[in-house]
Amino acid sequence: MIRDRLYHDMTNRGVTGWLMAALLTAFYVVLYFTEALTPWAQRVGLSSKWDLYGVLYTVAIVGGGLAVMRKYGHNRYQVIRTSVVMFVQVVFAFSIPQMLKAMHQPELYLSYFWPLKFDYGNPEYLAQQPMWFIVYSIAGGLVLVPLAGAFFGKRWYCSWVCGCGGLANTFGEPWRHLSDKSTAAWKFEKVSVYSVLGISLALTGILVYSWTTGSKAPVVVEFQSWYGLIVGSVLSGVVGVGLYPLGGTRVWCRFFCPMAALLGITQRAGKRFHIRVKEDMCISCGLCSKYCEMGIDVRAYAQMNESFTRASCVGCGVCSEVCPRGVLRLESESGLVQITVGR
Amino acid sequence: MHLVIVGNGVAGITAALAVRAKDAQAEITVISGEGEYFFSRTALMYAFMDQMQRRDLEPYERHVFREKRITLRRGWVTDLDAEGRCLSLADGVAVSYDKLLLATGSRGRRAEWERKLEGVVNFVTLQDLEACERLTPGTKRAVVAGGGLIGVELVECLVHHRVATTFLVREATYWPAALSPEEGEMVVAHIRAQGVDLRLATEVASLEGEGRVNGVVTTAGDKIGCEMVGVTIGVEPNVDWLRGVKTPPELGRGVVTDGGFRTSLPHVFAAGDVAEVNGQIEPLWYAAKRQGAAVARAILGETMEYGAPTYYNSAKFFHLEWTCAGETKGPGRFRKLPGRDASVRVLERDGIVTGFSMLGSRWNHRVLVKWLEERRKTEDVMGRLSEAQYDVEFGRVAL
Ligand SMILES: Cc1cc2nc3c(=O)[nH]c(=O)nc-3n(C[C@H](O)[C@H](O)[C@H](O)COP(=O)(O)OP(=O)(O)OC[C@H]3O[C@@H](n4cnc5c(N)ncnc54)[C@H](O)[C@@H]3O)c2cc1C
Ligand code: SF4
Repeated sequence: MIRDRLYHDMTNRGVTGWLMAALLTAFYVVLYFTEALTPWAQRVGLSSKWDLYGVLYTVAIVGGGLAVMRKYGHNRYQVIRTSVVMFVQVVFAFSIPQMLKAMHQPELYLSYFWPLKFDYGNPEYLAQQPMWFIVYSIAGGLVLVPLAGAFFGKRWYCSWVCGCGGLANTFGEPWRHLSDKSTAAWKFEKVSVYSVLGISLALTGILVYSWTTGSKAPVVVEFQSWYGLIVGSVLSGVVGVGLYPLGGTRVWCRFFCPMAALLGITQRAGKRFHIRVKEDMCISCGLCSKYCEMGIDVRAYAQMNESFTRASCVGCGVCSEVCPRGVLRLESESGLVQITVGR
Repeated sequence: MHLVIVGNGVAGITAALAVRAKDAQAEITVISGEGEYFFSRTALMYAFMDQMQRRDLEPYERHVFREKRITLRRGWVTDLDAEGRCLSLADGVAVSYDKLLLATGSRGRRAEWERKLEGVVNFVTLQDLEACERLTPGTKRAVVAGGGLIGVELVECLVHHRVATTFLVREATYWPAALSPEEGEMVVAHIRAQGVDLRLATEVASLEGEGRVNGVVTTAGDKIGCEMVGVTIGVEPNVDWLRGVKTPPELGRGVVTDGGFRTSLPHVFAAGDVAEVNGQIEPLWYAAKRQGAAVARAILGETMEYGAPTYYNSAKFFHLEWTCAGETKGPGRFRKLPGRDASVRVLERDGIVTGFSMLGSRWNHRVLVKWLEERRKTEDVMGRLSEAQYDVEFGRVAL
């Protein structure tokens, strides 16, 4: 059927896949680097292009989320996780900031933390915010996020709360299998993601220093604006989402996100979250690897009977969902309770 | 030592890697006719359904074989001379060996009514997969004959491609070799709910068409017009090619070996689907893998007595997952789980559990096998079944 063929083409780097990538990339270039979307926003009664983007983003997560819940409807983990992702987007990443703005308060996003939202760790920016938010941000970014990462794995953030992960796991679902599974990609990932983390830590350190000393050198200003341009706009937006139809949905999360890198470290160090492999049941079919959005070669562990924790694993649970022999199980000891449900 | 392995399936490749892990010097050559690289036969259906591309079927990245210095050769072996320790390939090349491992797997069993017609397919090899892919676009209706695990996989693929499918099952209940009548009914209802025309107690009597198939006549006397016929009536050890060679090993149903995987020929071993080890054939992926690892030790000189461990298996009928351990036939307690398409069946003899058959939810076969090996009392096991559940977080099924 023509519909099936088109879908296949779009989700397997066919002509329509490339077209889609071009379209998404173009959208982000226009959004970040021009004002062309502003009149469109005003036409529908929104004050800026960013509000329009917020609406589109929320629609994409809710629409994609509903499709995912239909697809994995038999899997409680997926249904609950996807509901939470949609809820967080609608409430914390959209409604609350809009309400704050309507009340002439600073527009604050409670579901984002430093170092993903870089400003929330920048003292210069924080100092201008209400006290409760300063406490929330610092406690959240420095304590809550890593601690929860050590206990439950990074999934609690990356695939339950975060908006970038949220978009990937809803709107991006049809492209998840395009991630690169090669060892070479894994090597690149280790260099790139920890480099971005290093740079963002260094910049934060410099900004804290400048703020305490009260003088900010021009080169620091330059550094900061380059970081914003490259990491904030190009890598997370243009490359991160633009490349969905070519490189899979987690290009940003896997190769560049400093928060994912930090959480990955706590996930490994916490030694609680892991993917359990049922012994001698894997048939090496490879579905788990194919559908891993982070490009983890899950099969390589499963066929060796090795339960494992990988720093990059965002705990989306899809490997466990697609495994036809029920080999894989996400577990966090002392973590999420096993709830029995009858249906 | 030059070890030559015929067959790059899971048995052959596992053996090659295991020999290399213990012996850095050995020269290792793997010869196989179907394809150059090891692939997962078990994932044939996902390739047919377009969920995976060909390269995704390979469990190891290709550089592994270079790094481990395992020479891969594509070709069909046609002759075996155990006195000269030499093989001949279809392209005329001769390969000599010090030790030889036969790991040539299974092939689809042929039906009496089968004729060489365009449109008649098996579902075992890469070539079968190619034929299926080629035929599907021109197929409005397909008939799949044989209700085993491969049959239901082929049916699922055809349904995925929106091909109207008739599924002919010889037995009066579904897969009685492993499922109880109640379980069979659940599976039949599930398969029918996917739009499949499943007919029990019906076989193909004959094929219609010249040159290419255009229909089948069933044993019930019905004529079904179709463009494709899948023959999935089971597999058998792939030993035919050995019957005419210069020095054939002793053949039973498979290549006969002792508990150390030694065939009747000196320096020639057999493992995997093709091997009949102490009279037993285990045509399963994990068994072939286990045998591959064990035969490697035998090749390296270890004396051993291989014995198949407690049986377990798992499968999927469309979306219905199934796990079994131990026996699957005999007296037992069956319980349909409330409110969902799932059941548990615990087999027992004299108050001791002898097997499990679990449909529609996930189970850890390791726990089940342990209970069987400990010869636990049925009452005890019934009370702690939940310990063996393996459902996803938040998704544990109520028993
Ligand atoms: C569609 C399908 C689904 C399956 N699903 C499951 C499952 O879910 N679970 C499970 O446990 N098992 C499953 N099986 C069975 C499983 O695939 C086999 O048990 C396993 O592949 C056996 O491995 P092997 O190495 O013995 O042989 P094979 O994988 O069959 O490999 C044998 C190789 O030998 C080569 N060969 C044969 N003769 C010659 C010759 N003369 N010269 C050169 N090369 C030769 C062939 O090219 C072939 O590549 C399935 C099988 C099929 C067909
Ligand atoms: S999906 Fe399951 S059976 Fe397939 S390779 Fe992964 S763990 Fe093994």
